[in-house]
Amino acid sequence: METSDQKPGPKPDLKPGKLFFLFAILGVISLPIIVFLAFSVNTTQVLAKVNKLPASDFDHNAKQFYSTYSQTTPAYMEGNSTARTLNYYYSLRQYPGSPPVIPHDMVVEKGAEQTCISCHERGGFTQSMNRFTPVTPHPQHTYCGQCHMKTITTKLFEDIDWVSVQPPKLGRSALAGSPPPIAHPLQMRENCIACHVGPGTVVSIRVEHPMRGNCRQCHVPEEIKTLFTRTQPDKK
Amino acid sequence: MTITRRDFIRSMALNSAAIAATTMFPGIIFAGWKPSELPAGSIQWSKTPCRFCGTGCGLLVGVSGERAVAVKGDPNCSVNKGLCCVKGYHSVQVLYGKDRFKTAYVRRNGELVPTPIEEALDIVASQMKSSIKEKGKDSVSIYGSGQWSIPDGYAASKFFKGCIGTNNVEANARLCMASAVTGCLTSFGLDEPMGCYEDIDNADVFITWGNNMAEMHPVLFSRMLANRKSKGHVEIIDLTTRSTRSSLAADKSILFNPQSDLAIANAICYEIIKNNWVNQDFVSKHVSFHKGKTNIGYGTEDHFKFKDKQENVDFEAFKTFLEDYTPEMAEKISGVSAENIKYLAALYGDPQKKVTSFWTMGMNQHTRGTWINNLVYNIHLLTGKISSPGNSPFSLTGQPSACGTVREVGTLTHKLPHGVVMKESSRKMAAKIWGVPETNIDPKPTYHTVEMFRALDRGDINFMWIQVTNPMVTMPNLKRYRDGAKKDGRFIVVSEIYPTPTSDIADVILPSALWIEREGFFGNSERRTQHNNQLVPKPGQAMCNTWQLIQVARRMGFEKQFPWSQETYIEDIWNEYTQFHDTPKHRMAPYKVLRERSGVQWPYVEGKETRWRYNGKYDPACKDKDFDFYGKPDHKAWIWLRPYEPPAESPDREYPFWLNTGRVLEHWHTGSMTRRIPILHKAVPESYVEINPSDAKTLGVVNNSKVKISSRRGSIVMKALINGRGNPPEGMVFVPFFDESYLINEVTLDAFCPISKQPDYKKCAVKLEKV
Repeated sequence: METSDQKPGPKPDLKPGKLFFLFAILGVISLPIIVFLAFSVNTTQVLAKVNKLPASDFDHNAKQFYSTYSQTTPAYMEGNSTARTLNYYYSLRQYPGSPPVIPHDMVVEKGAEQTCISCHERGGFTQSMNRFTPVTPHPQHTYCGQCHMKTITTKLFEDIDWVSVQPPKLGRSALAGSPPPIAHPLQMRENCIACHVGPGTVVSIRVEHPMRGNCRQCHVPEEIKTLFTRTQPDKK
Repeated sequence: MTITRRDFIRSMALNSAAIAATTMFPGIIFAGWKPSELPAGSIQWSKTPCRFCGTGCGLLVGVSGERAVAVKGDPNCSVNKGLCCVKGYHSVQVLYGKDRFKTAYVRRNGELVPTPIEEALDIVASQMKSSIKEKGKDSVSIYGSGQWSIPDGYAASKFFKGCIGTNNVEANARLCMASAVTGCLTSFGLDEPMGCYEDIDNADVFITWGNNMAEMHPVLFSRMLANRKSKGHVEIIDLTTRSTRSSLAADKSILFNPQSDLAIANAICYEIIKNNWVNQDFVSKHVSFHKGKTNIGYGTEDHFKFKDKQENVDFEAFKTFLEDYTPEMAEKISGVSAENIKYLAALYGDPQKKVTSFWTMGMNQHTRGTWINNLVYNIHLLTGKISSPGNSPFSLTGQPSACGTVREVGTLTHKLPHGVVMKESSRKMAAKIWGVPETNIDPKPTYHTVEMFRALDRGDINFMWIQVTNPMVTMPNLKRYRDGAKKDGRFIVVSEIYPTPTSDIADVILPSALWIEREGFFGNSERRTQHNNQLVPKPGQAMCNTWQLIQVARRMGFEKQFPWSQETYIEDIWNEYTQFHDTPKHRMAPYKVLRERSGVQWPYVEGKETRWRYNGKYDPACKDKDFDFYGKPDHKAWIWLRPYEPPAESPDREYPFWLNTGRVLEHWHTGSMTRRIPILHKAVPESYVEINPSDAKTLGVVNNSKVKISSRRGSIVMKALINGRGNPPEGMVFVPFFDESYLINEVTLDAFCPISKQPDYKKCAVKLEKV
């Protein structure tokens, strides 16, 4: 872990240090409040209103994406924390793209709806867990327990010989410095902002330029691996 | 050195994350899977229906190298539109349990010994031959399931009914949806729902009858929630005997006493008539009225026989019959307030509202299962809310091909792929397509499932071949049937993928290829047929169930009926089977179309699927553009006068609790597959008994206390769960049946619906003791 900055150097002047410490604590307390207030969008309602379609409608839903973008405040976009690592992210999954397990205790299961998305739809700081909440890329699906489980044991019923592929490699630009392609399928994960912007995200996949809203202007999905080849025209 | 604000926050967050990680996830290794050499980009995606429930979600399975490594929802499949449940997302892991059967086993001197599969198939064929020679053709039997792929069930029916000449063909779908079948047949003359899942997007009101959809059909439940969210006025009413996740998500949950749904449905009809909400035009044109026998018994004794006798009556007789079911009288039976019954009737009766009713095991596993199916149809028929978008009485199935393989292929003792064995024209048709003499097909049905296991116990059946199901966990009154199957002189063949309590009692175990390890078809709840290709190699000597049947049939001299090559047999079987359904009422899509699409609904006529049957606007089999219930000779749907009758066993002084059994979201059926999927097992590692908090207090039981549950048939000890996911009312306990360590079916009762022969797993009397 990169805590080397904390190593005691030559003894500093104590007074500015104390002042600074106080300021830092104030900052820590106020930041989550600012962030929470700043990022309070109900994407689902926006979506339902905009589309006049069942919220379950499956598409590469650009409207959802743009409305989340315009409702997300700059403060949230610039927010960051280093709590989440890619290793931790994958430890909750069975293969790249599988629904992650729930890694924390839950409030008593009351109602299939609402309890999860009351935090995971908007993000922000969760006092009880002392960390920023990751945001779901698909808040239109409200019955979270359908796919996300809390595990209560680590023992297996029978051993399994489970292997999956390697996680997608990061930063695979086609040319030096060119924007990398989207490394994962977009289904259920079309809303780039949810996972790549803000303080709840995994550090190594957080985007450095969150204010640029039209992500897919530069980053495109890699639908197939083969290169273009021209079909020979019919000779007739 | 100075510490900046940013650095301070960073280090604090890092430390707290590290502490949180170690305290919150003790023992979890920081890698969810073992990565192969192959990169993410090596994945090839192919469509298949999901292996688990009857919803029939379309999946895209990702294959890398020769292994299935990932799953996505299939956006082209209209069932789930790209969304799955947790079982579907992790379904491919079921292929890779380390205790998978990869070779056959034969019992020698009491031990199951690994044996080459060809030798095991020889033994199976010679055992069948000698049993038939010594004790006649009705001494051999096959017991399959709604997990059979369509060609499996078709080959079994042709082999046993057509070639050997015995009607000893049953499937565990008998335990699962037989009442839905007899309900459809008695009310409409043809099986399977008239509506489809599009009703979920169109209805204004959903009434679920004894049905915890949030856990049993989560993808359809989500679709219902999405409809409610996007429209705003949509209501979900949960009629139930136990409070569940579905109750919590519903707008209103109404608790009723077990079995009293019969009285509630009749009272709803009473109110609809009383308030002039009857759709007079529809009823006069499309409905006729009928009465059957009453006081029909419960089938708990061997050799129980019942045949209903119908009598034509009229609307006036129906009205008189309903006088016994005023909301106030129904309140006394059901415990549901007259006010709530009137409220339900008003929802069904409102001409502005489109109403869909859903049910599964609550209504089907019921000693009056056929009756309650009839009664809910009555409500929809009186109001004319049927066979049109959003108006739909709908029985959801539990198994992936209960409809496709059991209901459509007809793998039940009285059925043929088209029609029933009792009917000469049906036998003629089958004999012609199968290439067997007409005399081969026995016109008399033999045993339904419960009676088949009783016959095995008595020794009337000596040989049973069990494919893709686990009766030594699922049979009610289990001890009798397990002891019976283990008696001397019984020969049990089990086609399986993993060790189960059923394979434990086998004389021969045949290793099966599963799901995407072979080509096949499933048929889901909404008449949708779904094809899958073989996507990964079979492990070891594992063999497709269809091919196992073909191999044994050939060894018994039926090469002529089973001539197909290993390359094309699935396609050849499809082409032969669909000849049985070649009319506009049931035409199936051709093989080529099924390969291309993510499921096709039948009747498939002139390149078009039929969404709503019996409605001339959508169904090409109708006479004109009006409704036409062509399944019955009078072209009408039948309203049945069916009274309330009490259950086979009710709580009394000695056994004061109801026992209700069922499933949980994470585990499917007996858990022999889902328990081998790591996260599903880790989420729900064992079964438990749900007890109402006030009963728990009286018993002095807290969470995880050991409780002994006993009935007149048996007892088990298991841990208590209070205020868990579900909450039974006072005087009821609930036990999920997936866990082979706690065989709750040793406690349940083998009473069944006399018409459908489907047992009631939801009601028997037990006592509880703190251990």
